[in-house]
Amino acid sequence: MSNHVNHQDVVKKLLDTKAVDFKAIGEAVATMGPSLSLADEPWDGFCGTMRTFVHVYVLPGVHTNPGVENLGALRGATKELQG
Amino acid sequence: MPAPHSRRPSAKKPLLPTTGAFWSEADLIRRLLHALDIAEQALERLANNGYTDAQEPSFTIQPEKVISETGFFLMAAAAVNHIPVVNTRVQALAHQLAPYARSSRMRLGVCLEPSLALDYAQAHICLNYLGLPDASFDTLLRQSQASQAFGARERPPHRVLEQRWLLHLWDDDAVRPPAPKSALNAPTDLLAGSRDDVYAFTHALMYMAYNNESFPPRLPRSRAVIMAEAEALLARCLAEQDYDLGGEVLLAWPLTGAPWSPAAIFALRVLAQAEDAVGFLPSPATRLQRLSELQGAERSRYLLASAYHTVYVMGLLSAAALRPSALPPAAIPTRRVTAGAAAAILPLVGDNRQEHWRDELRRLSLPEQDTLAGLWLQIGLWRQSQRRDFDAVFKLLQIGNQYGLTSTPMAIQAAEMLERLQLFAHP
Repeated sequence: MSNHVNHQDVVKKLLDTKAVDFKAIGEAVATMGPSLSLADEPWDGFCGTMRTFVHVYVLPGVHTNPGVENLGALRGATKELQG
Repeated sequence: MPAPHSRRPSAKKPLLPTTGAFWSEADLIRRLLHALDIAEQALERLANNGYTDAQEPSFTIQPEKVISETGFFLMAAAAVNHIPVVNTRVQALAHQLAPYARSSRMRLGVCLEPSLALDYAQAHICLNYLGLPDASFDTLLRQSQASQAFGARERPPHRVLEQRWLLHLWDDDAVRPPAPKSALNAPTDLLAGSRDDVYAFTHALMYMAYNNESFPPRLPRSRAVIMAEAEALLARCLAEQDYDLGGEVLLAWPLTGAPWSPAAIFALRVLAQAEDAVGFLPSPATRLQRLSELQGAERSRYLLASAYHTVYVMGLLSAAALRPSALPPAAIPTRRVTAGAAAAILPLVGDNRQEHWRDELRRLSLPEQDTLAGLWLQIGLWRQSQRRDFDAVFKLLQIGNQYGLTSTPMAIQAAEMLERLQLFAHP
């Protein structure tokens, strides 16, 4: 007896069960996306089986520079240093 | 030197004073003198005890830093000592600096930490250079230099270059460590590099240039390539409104003898306008909220501690631009570029209309805007890559390619990043 496993067949059978609601996943991604994009840490996850079906990547955050304050307000608050 | 652009509409004339084809010397002297005035305040208020913010202890400035950087600034300003008013001011400040530079605290540092001896002695060495020697401090420093632990500390390459510069400034005959491979030896990471990486670039360049071994300084790669990277870093600084770092990057032009590029002239205008708007070149470190919480002497000390470094950078830049043959052109020399490049690129740069560089952009004629299209492209590539908007990065590269603007290190690194992302998405 062959030990060969046809992955395509397995996936097709799983898909046919309609156990995975792709529409619902899409809606969840659309809902979570904006807040996930602000998350501090990158992460990924899997859905349904040990095989990764859906990847949601939050790329490593980039450094942020607050930039200088409003120039007019700074001028008003820093008379001591003005030339 | 290119002639001033004659097609500039009168309503869009730059607000900055100019003299003929060049930036006004008087304007640069005014800026330099103002920085020297603030150096006087910094010495008075910070040189004894530095500054520690009680609410945010991580914001601490050691007095040694203020003293050393003031020494460096005076040494750099002395490059234009042929201007009497500058010479008088530098000499007066040198005398004010001397007791701090040669204080018991500094001498003790030279004694107890020989591997940091040159760091403690930096202001003393700068004062020697300015004609204010101190034989007893030199004797102490030589004793430390002869000690076993003198060269013990492991430093990043730009800090090794700093040590070499100090040794050379102190004693022409001193045995110096070999020049290490620094941030100038290899391409800079223009999209993912940290702020410290930019500092490594600017400081390596400064220590090479101020070494006084030769002018222009011998650079480890072609000057054109290094300046192309400097322009990319300038784009980043303009996008982030980081004028502390931006001023240091701008030093690359006068310190290497490179002709001021249109992007460098534009960036200098942005910094000058920001300085004029506030009364000093502002730093991101100065926060209005914190200022409002403090009063009296503590408020003044916070303001100085957060602002003085950026003020010094503007002073360094003004002094460097006043060197012979280093005056920036008054006008942005327009180049033959395809008309419409700026209009095609600017909508993709990002939507922050409040940025200071956009104020300066609005004062440019259309040919000037098109001449600077490469700078807009680099600002856009930096910003969109930071936002992780890779579709926008791709579109910017496409448009930049149509106008022949993508043979820059920034554009090449952006294209390489997209290629890697493609492999990542489709392994």
